Amino acid sequence: MNRRLRAMLRLFAVQGTWNYERMLGVGMGYAAEPLLEDLKAVDPVRHGEAVVRSAEFFNCNPNLAGLALGATTRAEYEGVPGPQIARLRTALCSPLGSMGDQLFWAGLVPALVGLTVVAVVLGAGWWAVGGFLLAYNAIRIWTGYWSLRTGMTAGMRVGAAIGSSWLPRAIEWVGPAAGFALGALVPIVAMWYLSRFGWAGALGVAGVTTAGFALTRWFGPSLTSVRFAILAMLLLLFFRRVGM
Amino acid sequence: MTDFSPEVVLPLLLWGTLVALDLVSVPQAMISRPVVAGSVAGVLVGDVEVGLRVGILFELFALDVLPAGAVRYPDYGPATVSAVALGAGTPWELGLGLSAALGLVIAVVGGWSLQIVRRWNARAIQRRAAALAAGESSAIRWLQYGGILRDGLRGFALTLTGLVLASTIADSLRLDRQSAVAFTLVAIGSALAAAVSGAFRGSGRGPRLKWLMAGVAVGTTIAVLA
Repeated sequence: MNRRLRAMLRLFAVQGTWNYERMLGVGMGYAAEPLLEDLKAVDPVRHGEAVVRSAEFFNCNPNLAGLALGATTRAEYEGVPGPQIARLRTALCSPLGSMGDQLFWAGLVPALVGLTVVAVVLGAGWWAVGGFLLAYNAIRIWTGYWSLRTGMTAGMRVGAAIGSSWLPRAIEWVGPAAGFALGALVPIVAMWYLSRFGWAGALGVAGVTTAGFALTRWFGPSLTSVRFAILAMLLLLFFRRVGM
Repeated sequence: MTDFSPEVVLPLLLWGTLVALDLVSVPQAMISRPVVAGSVAGVLVGDVEVGLRVGILFELFALDVLPAGAVRYPDYGPATVSAVALGAGTPWELGLGLSAALGLVIAVVGGWSLQIVRRWNARAIQRRAAALAAGESSAIRWLQYGGILRDGLRGFALTLTGLVLASTIADSLRLDRQSAVAFTLVAIGSALAAAVSGAFRGSGRGPRLKWLMAGVAVGTTIAVLA
């Protein structure tokens, strides 16, 4: 199998050894292994050093990790001094984390999930769920391929390559799309659930929603939405027990 | 009520393990999203409607989570699978609340178990520190396989716990109709609060907030007309 393809497939498991010391480091080392194979024959000492560097501390959004992997691998083959490669890795953590999180976790995922849920509620059923999986995975696989290719092409100039790419523009439009999808989702889903319960039920739910929203904002992050829900259910259980 | 026979439980265990792995380790294909996990679990237990209703309920909770960096978050995948197993075969208006209660507890336990696996991963790395410092690729490979195996075992144990609790609750707990409906309403209200909270936090005060409001207007119109 093509080494770049093997590295890309391994990037799907880049968080396999996630921990609080090296974070994605070991996963990056695992993904780097096929890409560094050629270096072993050319310069075994450099190969050993490159393997050590590849598994050191690293953290970013997993979908953009290919940019750092590709750039550092190319730098290893170009004989860039080790400390400079280590600095590049460190420098890429924050921007790749921030851009990836904005693009995927705060943008694409809520936008697609919002559309999917609305489509399910409006009767699309399984097709919507399948469409969500297809759309999301097509985008993330293409992004993974693009990231690795761009990193390997740009090497130490990967920062400029990211700045002039489609990434910053995509982040600008995916955020509003996510906001719109989530805004549409809430009333549609609320109606879907509440149409069976009548006005009294809807008023009760509105009360719980308002209390949950307000309390989790006032007392967050110690009172998360999950903790609020569990507390509300325990309170309900208590009131039912005492006959209220 | 779900028939907790091996023919039903084994596919649910496999599915719960896969969705737990998908959350962080591999492949992050979004099968761990509750709407996906719940839909498939609904098919596996033979109650697609409950699968979708439970899946979407937990999806509302999941929208309040931004899994950025090293943030701690609940594991909704196995939680949704367990909740669907408990709610299947019961009219969703009566079973959704109890299913949500079980699922939320499993989700919290799942979040804790993720922290434990991460600490175990760190310990495994410390044990192989010399091999890593020597640049041994095999050490990296085995650490990676070990990490994925640990997460898989976590997902399996979490799903198994959820299914055992679901079976126990289904056999032993009987709620009167009024209490069951009240539980369902509290679960829906809490889930909507989570979704609203997540939507507002994600929007901030910038242009995204205007798009959020536009979405609310369009959504309300569709909800009234549909």
